[in-house]
Amino acid sequence: MHDVLLSVRDLAKSYQGVHAVDGVSFDVGAREIVGIIGPNGSGKSTTVDCITGFQRPDRGDVHLAGTRLSGRAPWQVARAGLMRTFQTVRVYDHLTLEENLLAGAAQFDDAGWLDALLRTPRLRRAEAQALARADDLVALTGLTRYRALPVGILSYGQKKLVALASALMSKPRLVVLDEPVAGVNPTRIREIERALLALRDQGETFLVIEHNMEFIMNVCDRVIVFDQGRKLAEGTPREVHADPRVLEAYVGTHP
Amino acid sequence: MSPTRRDAAIGLAGLLVLCAVPGVASDYIVGVGITAFTFTIAAVALNLVYGYVGLLSFAQLAFWGIGGYCAALWVMDAGGSFWMGLLLAAALNALLALAVGWPALRLQRDSFVIVTLSFALLTFLIARDWVGLTRGPLGLPGLPSPTLFGTKLASTASIYYLALAFLAGALLVVYAIVTSRIGRTLRAIRQNEPLATAHGVAPTPCKLFAFAVGAALTGVAGGIQVFYLKIVDPSILDFYYIQAWLIMVIIGGAGTFWGPVIAGLVMSALPEALRFSNELRMVIYGAILIVAVLALPQGVAGWLRERRIARLRDTTA
Repeated sequence: MHDVLLSVRDLAKSYQGVHAVDGVSFDVGAREIVGIIGPNGSGKSTTVDCITGFQRPDRGDVHLAGTRLSGRAPWQVARAGLMRTFQTVRVYDHLTLEENLLAGAAQFDDAGWLDALLRTPRLRRAEAQALARADDLVALTGLTRYRALPVGILSYGQKKLVALASALMSKPRLVVLDEPVAGVNPTRIREIERALLALRDQGETFLVIEHNMEFIMNVCDRVIVFDQGRKLAEGTPREVHADPRVLEAYVGTHP
Repeated sequence: MSPTRRDAAIGLAGLLVLCAVPGVASDYIVGVGITAFTFTIAAVALNLVYGYVGLLSFAQLAFWGIGGYCAALWVMDAGGSFWMGLLLAAALNALLALAVGWPALRLQRDSFVIVTLSFALLTFLIARDWVGLTRGPLGLPGLPSPTLFGTKLASTASIYYLALAFLAGALLVVYAIVTSRIGRTLRAIRQNEPLATAHGVAPTPCKLFAFAVGAALTGVAGGIQVFYLKIVDPSILDFYYIQAWLIMVIIGGAGTFWGPVIAGLVMSALPEALRFSNELRMVIYGAILIVAVLALPQGVAGWLRERRIARLRDTTA
C-alpha cells in the first residue's frame, strides 16, 4: 500500500439499537482501488454515508490526507477532496450532460459569486478549464453525441457513467463509488472497469462498494469484507476469494 | 443565433411593443398594463424561488405587502422620496428574507412552506391590527404621484412606463442570475439536492440568495403597485395575489425564463379580454386554467422544452 490517503478508525453507527456499523477500521492508500464487499445489511452503505458526511457516526474518526472529515457536512467533505456516487443513480435529469459535469466542478475553482454574476475574466478562465476537463471525461464515457442533451433521456447504465464523470470533474483525491455497476449491462461493466483502471494509473484513488464479484476481482487492488457491521477479512481479491470465512458469511456454511 | 442574442431580441421586441401601448390604448387598458407589469415582476421573482430552486414560498405575498407599506410609510410619514422608498422596500425585504429564511431553511421542505405561510399571515395581522404603525384597516390613502427630476408622474401612462422600466430591470437581474453558473447550481439543488451537496454545494447560502433577491424584487413591485393605486391597506395582503402569481409561474412553466413572463402578461390581461361576458368571465378564466394545467402539467414553456428534447432524442438515437 502507498501512503495512506483515507484512514477510518473505529467507526460505529447504530439505528435504534441495531449496530449497523460496529467499530470498523481500515485505510485506503493513494492510487489504490479498494473494494468493500459483504452481504446485504453488513454495514457497507452506512460506512459510506458516515465517511461522506451523509450520516453522523456515533463514534470513530475519518481522516483524508490528515484532514478530519468526521462531523463535517457532505459539501465540506466534498470540498476536502472526497467525492461520492450513489447506489441508486443520482444525476441532474433536466441538465445537459455538459451541465451535469460542470456542476460537479463549479465549487472548486477560485471564481466566486460576483465573478459568476458579472462574467469576469476569472470566471471565464475557470469555466474554460472545466470545459476542457469535461471534454476529456465525456470522451472517457463515450457519450459525446449526448453532450448537449438532458441526461434524463439516457439509460440507467449511461447515467451511472455520467455520475462517475461528474464526480471526477474536480480532480478529487478520492472517489467513493456506491455500487457503480449494479443494474449495468455486462458490456458497459467492462467499459467501466477499463475506465477505472486507466484513471487509477493516472493517479486517481477509488473506494468501491459492489456486489458484482467479477468486477471486484477485475479492478480492486485490495478487498475488505464486511459482515454484521464489522470487518471480517481484508486482502488481495485472490486471498479474500479463498478465505473460508468470507464464503461462510455469504452463504452461511459451517465447515 | 446564440441563446443570449435570441433572448435579447425577444426582450427588445417585447419592450418596443409594450412601449407603444399607451399611444393606442385607453387609460383603462394602460392601467391594466401597470398591474400586469407589477404582477409579472412578482411572478418572475416567485419563479426564481419556486421554479429554479424549488422552494414553495408564500412569503412572496408578505414581501409584496411589506414593499407597499414600506414605500408608502417612507413617503407619507418620513417625507422621503418614492424612489428611496422603493430602495428601502427592496433592502428591508432582502433582510427579512434572510432572517426568516435562515431558520426556515433548516427545516424540511414542507415545514418551509408552512413557515412562509405563517409569515404571510403574520404580516397581514400586523397590517390590520398594528394601528400605530400601519393605520390599521383604513390604510394609507392619498399616496402622492412620484416625481422624477422635478416632474410629477401624474398620468397613468407615466406610471405605466415606470412599471415597465422596473419590469425590464427585474428581468435583467433574474436573467443574469439564471443564465450564470449560479443559476445552474440553483437548478442542480432543485433537481437533486443530495447530489449537489456531494458535489460540494452548500445549499443554504444558494437558497437564501435566491430567496432574498426574490423578496427584494417583489417588494419593489408592491411599492409600485400601491403608488399606482394611491392607497395601501391590508387588502394588499389578500391571498388572491399569491394565487395569481403561482398560476402564472405554473402555467408559464416553472423554472423556465420566458414562460412565467409571458404567462404573467397574458394572464393579467386575460380577465379583461373576457369582459365581453361579465357574468361568465371568471368561470371561463377558471376553465382555461384547468384545461391548461391538465393538458400542460409542465407549463407551456415546459411543454415546448419536452418537444425539443424529444426531437433531439430522435435525431441522436
